[in-house]
Amino acid sequence: MSALLAIEDYHLAIPTFDGPARVLNGIDLALEEGETLGIVGESGCGKTVLARTILGIGPDRAERKQGRILFEGRDVADLSARDWRGIRGVKIAMIFQDPMTYLNPLFTIGRQLGDAIAAHARAEGQARPGRAARRVRAATLLDQVGLREPERVLDYYPHQLSGGMRQRVLIALALSGKPRLLIADEPTTALDVTVQAQVLRLLRDLVETLGLTVVMISHDVGAIAALTGRVAVMYAGNVVEEGPTARVLARPLHPYTQGLLAALPEIDGAIRRLSGVPGTIPSLIDPPPGCRFHPRCPRATALCAAERPAMRGADPAHRVACHHADLA
Amino acid sequence: MPTSPEPIPLLSATGLVKVFHAGGRAVRAVDGVDLSLAAGEVLGVVGESGSGKSTLARLVLRLTEPSAGRIAFDGRDITALDGEAMRRLRRDMQIVFQNPHSALNGRRTVGEAVAEPLRVQGVARGAALDARVDRLLDQVSLPRAFRHRYPHELSGGQKQRVCIARALALEPRFLVLDEPTSALDVSVQAQILDVLGELRRELSLTYLFISHNLAVVRYLCDRVMVMREGRVVEQGPVAALFAAPAEAYTRTLLDSVPRLPRP
Repeated sequence: MSALLAIEDYHLAIPTFDGPARVLNGIDLALEEGETLGIVGESGCGKTVLARTILGIGPDRAERKQGRILFEGRDVADLSARDWRGIRGVKIAMIFQDPMTYLNPLFTIGRQLGDAIAAHARAEGQARPGRAARRVRAATLLDQVGLREPERVLDYYPHQLSGGMRQRVLIALALSGKPRLLIADEPTTALDVTVQAQVLRLLRDLVETLGLTVVMISHDVGAIAALTGRVAVMYAGNVVEEGPTARVLARPLHPYTQGLLAALPEIDGAIRRLSGVPGTIPSLIDPPPGCRFHPRCPRATALCAAERPAMRGADPAHRVACHHADLA
Repeated sequence: MPTSPEPIPLLSATGLVKVFHAGGRAVRAVDGVDLSLAAGEVLGVVGESGSGKSTLARLVLRLTEPSAGRIAFDGRDITALDGEAMRRLRRDMQIVFQNPHSALNGRRTVGEAVAEPLRVQGVARGAALDARVDRLLDQVSLPRAFRHRYPHELSGGQKQRVCIARALALEPRFLVLDEPTSALDVSVQAQILDVLGELRRELSLTYLFISHNLAVVRYLCDRVMVMREGRVVEQGPVAALFAAPAEAYTRTLLDSVPRLPRP
C-alpha cells in the first residue's frame, strides 16, 4: 500500500533581503487514496505555501532545501513546466478561496468548461469532442456540483453568478479532468455562512460518491471539522500535531492546538471566557531555536529551547511534536 | 438589562430606509428598520452579505444619509443635524472598521493616528496631548513605545488596537464596531474581543456590533438583531434567541455554523 501523496522531510526557504525565510521546516505528511486531510493554522504558518508547493506553483524564488514530494510514487518537487502539464489540473486539481479570480470574466461558463473538457480530451490523446458533446459533458458537470438548470448556467458569464455558484463552477472545472487529488485552499472562506454550509455539503458528497481524495487548507477549524477525516495542525512552518480530526479537535495534545481551540467562541453550550494565544508568530528568518512555539508556550522548559521535538504519540494515528505533551 | 422602567435609549432609529440607485434599479439596502440601544448595552447585528447591516451602521452614524426615517441620540433628533452641531456630536459616536490594514495611514505613526481626532476637535495639545495618547495606548494594552512606530511594523491585531485607541480618543459614549475581528486570526480575535469587553465595562460604552460571525456575536453581545435583505427578521436577547429562534431564517443561519467535536 503506497500513499497517493507523500511529503517527506520537506524544507523550503524563500530568499528575502534579511536572509532566507524558512517557511517549511521539515514537513512529513502522507495521504492515502480516498482520504480527506485538513491542514489548519493561522496566517504565516505555511499552509498555503505547502498547498501551492504540492501543485508545483510554489513561490517563484523558493529554494528547495531538502526532502521529497511524491505523487503516485514520483518526486514532483522539481518537475519542469512541461512535465507538470499532465499532472496539474488533470491528476491534481485545485480550488481556491476567491472563485471570481479564477474564472475569465469575458467568457461564458459553458465556454470555459468546454475548453477544459477539450484540453483534457487532447491530453488523453482523444479526438476533440464536438460542440454538442462538450455542452452535454459541461452540463453534466454542473449538475454534479448541484447547480440547478445547468443548461441555463452554461450561457451565463461569471458576474451573473453568486459567490456560491461560482465556487460550484470552479469545483466543476476541477472535476472536468477526473482528478485523483483535489486541493482546496480556503474554499469556503469568502462565502456567507449558509452558502459555506452548502459548499461543504457538496464537497462531502463528492468525496463519498467519487471517492475523491482531498487536501483542504483552512484557518477555519469549523470548516475543517465539517469535511476532513484527518487533520494536520501547522505552526510557523511545522506540523505540530496530526491525527483523526474528531480526536485532535476534541482532545488536542499540542499546547498550540489547545490555545487555538480555546480562542474559538462557540455557537452553543455555556459561554466560556476565551483565552487567546499570548504573543505573536515568530520571524521565519530568525525562528526560535528548538521548538518554534516555545516563546509562547505555557509549558516551555530549557529543553524546548534546545531541542526540536520529534513527532510522537501513544497511538501512531495521533501524533504530536511536543516535549511535554501528556500522552497518557 | 435596563434597570429603570422606561429608560431613554442612547440611540434609537425608527423607520430607517436607504435606497441606492444602481443601473436604473432602486435597491432598498435598508428597508424600514427600527432599533433602540440602551446606554451600556451591546447590540449585535448579524446577517449575510447584502443584508444591509453595514449600511445600517453607517446610517446611525450619519455617514450615509437616510432616504427616510429618524435617528435620535441621547433623546435628541439628529436626523438633520449639520455643521458645528454634527461636528460636536461626532465626539460621542465613533467607528472601528473591519480592515485595520486599510484604516490606518501608512505614512503616519501610531502616535499621530491616535492623536489626530484630539487635534481635529481641538481637545488637547502639547504635553496634555502626549499624555492622552499614552493613556489610550495603555487602554488597548499596547506598549507606549509603539507611538513612534508605523503601521507596517505592526501585526493585524496590533493595528486593530490602534484603531480602537483612535476611536476612543474623544471619549465617545457609543461605538460602532463593523466586523472588527473578521480580518484577524482567531487567537488574535480572542484578544481583541477581550479588549472590547474590558473597555465596555471600564468606560460604560455602548456598542453596535456588526458581524457575520454568530459565535462572536453570542460571545460579546447582550441582544441581537438578525437582518436579511434590508429588513429585521427577528431580535431579542442573544442567548435566548440563539437557543430558540422563532424564524426559519435564523434557524438556517445557526444550523449552517459547523459544530466542533467535543471531548
